[in-house]
Amino acid sequence: MQTKEAQTKEAQTGNPSRDRILERIRAGLRTVVPEPAALRSGPVIFEPINNPLERFQQECIGNLMECALTADSATSARQLSKVLQSLPEGETFVQDDPALRRLIEQAAPARPIRWSSQGAPGEASQATVTLAEALIAQTGSILVTSACGGRGASVIAPCHIVYATVAQLVPDLATALSRVSQERKLDSNSFACVISGSSRTADIEKILVQGAHGPRRLVVILQAAT
Amino acid sequence: MSQTAAQRFLQDAAVKSADLMHREIIRRGMESYDVAHLKGRARIKDWEAAREKCQEIKREAINHLDRYLLQFEEKVIARGGHVFWAANSEEACTYVKNLATRLGVRTVVKSKSMVTEEIQLSPVLEKAGIKVWETDLGEFIVQLREEPPYHIVTPAMHLNRGQIAKLFREKLDPGIESDDPADLMAAARRILRQAFFAAEMGISGANFLVADAGVIAISTNEGNGRLCTSVPRIHVVVSGIEKVIPRLEDLAVLWPVLATSGTGQGITTYGTLIGGPRRPGEVDGAEEFHVVLVDNGRSQLLADAEQREVLHCIRCGACLNICPVFRHVGGHTYGTTYPGPIGSVLTPHLNGIKEFKHLSYASSLCGACSSVCPVKIDLAHHLLQNRRNATEAGATKESERLIFRVWRYAMLRPRMYALGGWLVRKALRIIYGLGLAGSILDPMRVWNRYRSPVPLPSESFRARWRKGLDAN
Repeated sequence: MQTKEAQTKEAQTGNPSRDRILERIRAGLRTVVPEPAALRSGPVIFEPINNPLERFQQECIGNLMECALTADSATSARQLSKVLQSLPEGETFVQDDPALRRLIEQAAPARPIRWSSQGAPGEASQATVTLAEALIAQTGSILVTSACGGRGASVIAPCHIVYATVAQLVPDLATALSRVSQERKLDSNSFACVISGSSRTADIEKILVQGAHGPRRLVVILQAAT
Repeated sequence: MSQTAAQRFLQDAAVKSADLMHREIIRRGMESYDVAHLKGRARIKDWEAAREKCQEIKREAINHLDRYLLQFEEKVIARGGHVFWAANSEEACTYVKNLATRLGVRTVVKSKSMVTEEIQLSPVLEKAGIKVWETDLGEFIVQLREEPPYHIVTPAMHLNRGQIAKLFREKLDPGIESDDPADLMAAARRILRQAFFAAEMGISGANFLVADAGVIAISTNEGNGRLCTSVPRIHVVVSGIEKVIPRLEDLAVLWPVLATSGTGQGITTYGTLIGGPRRPGEVDGAEEFHVVLVDNGRSQLLADAEQREVLHCIRCGACLNICPVFRHVGGHTYGTTYPGPIGSVLTPHLNGIKEFKHLSYASSLCGACSSVCPVKIDLAHHLLQNRRNATEAGATKESERLIFRVWRYAMLRPRMYALGGWLVRKALRIIYGLGLAGSILDPMRVWNRYRSPVPLPSESFRARWRKGLDAN
């Protein structure tokens, strides 16, 4: 086991400019820049969120994503088969997780399933089904990490379906991010992503096109009880 | 090259501002941005407080740049990533090129990154026989046209759908009939999809380098940035050293503010965080993860007490969008990687004040840029400071210095000044009377060439002032 310093040293070989740049930065910072007055005391930047569920549903509409509120796992399964039936033929990639295994069993889709334990989603996958780490009410976002079926699971297929529970809702980005920090999620995952809607572009005449390189549809199946 | 950058700027500005089609495209684009931007700002309860918070975060980061960069580096290396510090473009490009060659890379997919434009990475890779695909739709379009991005956020905003459809028919597929933006996107998607799955290396920029978490943060809408960083087996991040921020939680305000200022969205579709190569047990992700930290003149700005804050820029493009000069002359006229007010401030620092001091005058000093900047950079005053710096560095023309010497002489001698004013008024009256306004004989030609002359006052300001005083 290498020490941290030894690792750093090793990675630095062949990088002669490193120390030179750091030296230049430190030299520059010796110039004193007068600090302006301190920040106004605790201004409220964002509107406080009173009803996270309602806010999340509202934001989903704005983000062009579909949010289906379900009562229990049976209705969730029905919702899932409905979405899958609306898609063209092809493989469905599913995060290999007990909860999703149960859901798929209940939904019993008549199409090939590829579990994340069998490898990354194929180029031709029609849909991906994953869990989320959290749902963020403020921005109508889902937070995923590598643990949610990997990096490609939320972007490769034209349709991404997220199976989540109301208990996973957090009010805002600040809460979601500080939880990621506290739980050291980024040490156990090489990747995380806050996803707020289906992929889109407005690069041509600023006209919004839904469905660019990523999913055209982002569906959240939001279950009330676990 | 016989033409200077300043001459080229004036010439291109004249051509572009007279190009009615260009003006119409930009006007429409900017109008829809304005609407979205204002709507987005209204979604934030206290926009001014949000700006102050962002300014504070960036100031904290830049004022301790060495510490935060080292913290970021340590984390990335601990996870098995590599961090390379490049003093200039050449070092950065050579590192990426050597890496690509060593690992047998033949195809590269790139997501939008202005730093890679700044260091001119793609031409270096292409010279080494590597195929480079720009995968952001706007970047893909300008790459096909073999021109630089027009705007730092929307690279192809100077083109309309007809021009893009024609380009796609010529370069991609003569069978493309529709010029509907959705169909054009679909055509690009089909082609780029193959590139994503063929490429061995993905290159991205970074909107932020998060020091405490040791991750890069990328904001994208199309998902191309996600594919570039998920599918190929090597991921290279190229970022300016100034992109660092102290804490992950800082993104809770920086992300919404960047999205609002960039496009008017509440938040960008994908806020991606990546801290290293694929970990054991993960389904996918790059096996190699490299971060290239580019200085390229940035560290010099730290010693500039007035302008250090220019390094706070988060490249949202809001100052370009609001700038009346940008709206008329367009992005390409600047002839720089970063156009608009931020580019006019930054370029003289990065590429030399002598060649680029003219950009400090590509401003009406209206201050609109300062008023929209989400990190509160006082761009309008930095333009003034650059004018002063250029003069102090003796970068001005001999003729200009002479004119100012004459003016100074007259200013110090009120009678002389009055006489001069009287003479000029007389002379102009004669010239205008002869119908020579705007002709080569008109000293006011620069103004009068394209405009009707401003009516000459019947008496001087001094005379009026004296009368006003007497009346009291």
